[in-house]
Amino acid sequence: MALTAGQDLGLLVVSFGAGLIGALAGVGGGLIIVPVLTIWFGVDVRLAAGASIVSVIATSSGSAAAYLREGWANLRIATFLQLATVTGAIAGALVVQDVPTSALLLTLAVVLLLSAGAQLVRLDEEPGSGPSATDRRLRLSGTYVSLRLGRTVAYGAQRIVPGFVVMFVAGALSGLLGIGSGALKVLAMDGLMRLPLKVSSATSNFMIGVTAAASVGIYLGRGLVDVRLAAPVTLGVLGGALVGARLLPRLTNRQVRLLFIPILFVIAVETLLRALGIAL
Amino acid sequence: MIKPEAVAQEARFERVMALVLLVGVFVSAALVLFGLAGSFVVGWTGSLVGSPTVDSATTDFSGILERLGAFQPLALGQLGLLVLIGTPVFRVGVSIVGFWSEGDRLYVALAAVVLALLALSLVALR
Repeated sequence: MALTAGQDLGLLVVSFGAGLIGALAGVGGGLIIVPVLTIWFGVDVRLAAGASIVSVIATSSGSAAAYLREGWANLRIATFLQLATVTGAIAGALVVQDVPTSALLLTLAVVLLLSAGAQLVRLDEEPGSGPSATDRRLRLSGTYVSLRLGRTVAYGAQRIVPGFVVMFVAGALSGLLGIGSGALKVLAMDGLMRLPLKVSSATSNFMIGVTAAASVGIYLGRGLVDVRLAAPVTLGVLGGALVGARLLPRLTNRQVRLLFIPILFVIAVETLLRALGIAL
Repeated sequence: MIKPEAVAQEARFERVMALVLLVGVFVSAALVLFGLAGSFVVGWTGSLVGSPTVDSATTDFSGILERLGAFQPLALGQLGLLVLIGTPVFRVGVSIVGFWSEGDRLYVALAAVVLALLALSLVALR
């Protein structure tokens, strides 16, 4: 794979688009840039994952900082669940070279379809619920200020064991595909553990960087982090995500999601066809 | 039940962490940008100060200090990526200090395990 100067700029532009669309559609840029690099730039899916996973750390750190200031992220929940995501990420990254490319692409297509679908059915924030017995031992409960409700909302965590298991899977997918797995992390927290959506999103963002750092270590040692890809992809995705975050408050959530989610479906179908060996 | 001082303490640690994350991303992006821009001028494995450099693979992070001394765009980009990777690792370290100051031994231990796993993946696992 020899990159020319023109291709560098192309990567920068495409990565910016991936970061922008990712931020507006509510998924990470990684989920978009990996298939795009693989299908349109002819990059091996593992090298694409190696570049993407680095950019995932950049966007996660950037947004986690913003969320921390709002006080929505729960450090104890993040720390506890990171045990699962980091272990999963290490497992995923360790086997990535043993998994056939078609299987990686198929998994990527399925995750893309599910993430796009999850964004379509995403509902408004719901009130939290009381803590379970395990929660009282782990002290995973907390409070956050809801601007919409205009008061402080107390919440606790339920179904912690299933949540932990899903987090391991999210970590494994992150290590395997070079994505943040944000959608699955949020699903585990707000769907299974019944945490408020704001707390789930903020805490998920917070965990994504740590999870990604675990797999990057292994990718790096195996020569899967190519600066020629990682540099333009990281700068592009980060820039796109920053612009997207600025744009988002000016647009209504529903319109934005409906506008950008179809793009995710198109990429998912292309990835699926590629996985099945059907070239268009 | 929860003391106001504890809440204030936690808010302070959250601000420190937010700062750590922002500085990490900013420094790393600046280095990567410098490296990328430099690669347009002298190529990834050239030298911005005209020193002789070894033609290393763009996926090889070894010998980075020596290559940094020659202002090799590749090494600058790689340093930026290493700073980026180090940011969340450092953040976990900050959280250990935070839990420690709150006297929360359980979470000091849990965060220490996370840090150990990260160290393992970065140094030992190939």
